[in-house]
Amino acid sequence: MNKFKFYIDLDKEEKWLNKMAKAGWELKDKFCCYTFQKAAPSDTIIKIDYRNFKTSRDFVDYLALFKDSGWEHIAGSKSSGAQYFKKISNDGDEDIFSDIPSKAARYRRISNMWLTMAISYIPLFISLTATKSIDTSTFLNPKLLYYTPGLWEKNGISFLCSFLFETPFAMMRGISWLFFPVMIILYFIFTIKAEIKYRKASY
Amino acid sequence: MVKRDKNLPLTETVYYILLALLQPAHGYIIMQKVEELSDGQVRMAAGTLYGAIENLLKLKFITPCQSDDSRRKVYVITEEGKRLLHLDYERMSHMIKVTEQNWE
Repeated sequence: MNKFKFYIDLDKEEKWLNKMAKAGWELKDKFCCYTFQKAAPSDTIIKIDYRNFKTSRDFVDYLALFKDSGWEHIAGSKSSGAQYFKKISNDGDEDIFSDIPSKAARYRRISNMWLTMAISYIPLFISLTATKSIDTSTFLNPKLLYYTPGLWEKNGISFLCSFLFETPFAMMRGISWLFFPVMIILYFIFTIKAEIKYRKASY
Repeated sequence: MVKRDKNLPLTETVYYILLALLQPAHGYIIMQKVEELSDGQVRMAAGTLYGAIENLLKLKFITPCQSDDSRRKVYVITEEGKRLLHLDYERMSHMIKVTEQNWE
């Protein structure tokens, strides 16, 4: 079973995954959505870390440390960021973090990731604008999205018909051009949200 | 007054990790050693220890070293790490000394 969900709050995400496990759905993979497999209902503890690794050697070492201390890696990859662990030993720790700063630091890394995404979209957006692939003047003047010759000189029923006919096309043009600015703003919002979570979690 | 190193005082966990790494060890061994050295007072979880190791590598207080284990990285304290560990030891010795002198 696949489920699409988006979480900023890792504690809420962990809670949801534990609830799914209790209902007999075991997390198998997480790419853009969560992949679950039917399993016996269990009271597993699932914990999430957030890390990317430079080399596979680093990643293998990281997984070995968690395995040694009673946590099985169930989803995540070298560059996926989120790493999901399931508790496998009975006498091990209840959490993968033993102090507040290290638990909070996950949000700092998430915040940095969103910031990198936002910043890397900016040159792309600028170059598309510079090459006229994106016409920024339409943001200020949506009339430019309408291509019908003489549309704005028409009036009455004839204007309304032409206007309504072209609106869906104009919106599609507008929306595809809006893609980059919207993504950049969205990534900045996520950056700030994660940063706020970081500050709140630090105390 | 002599300006003291900005990395002082070391946190309790950092102090124990550096002390544990006077002998080369990999992550899980460090975890066990820290618990043993602290008389069971300091138990570090995997995620916290991993972050601490990363930080100590950045500060160059510890360094990776050769090992037979292909999966687990082994670390050892550096000269700089030893210097800091000893400075913090002296700092705490002083605290103990003045406390004993002033405690009635």
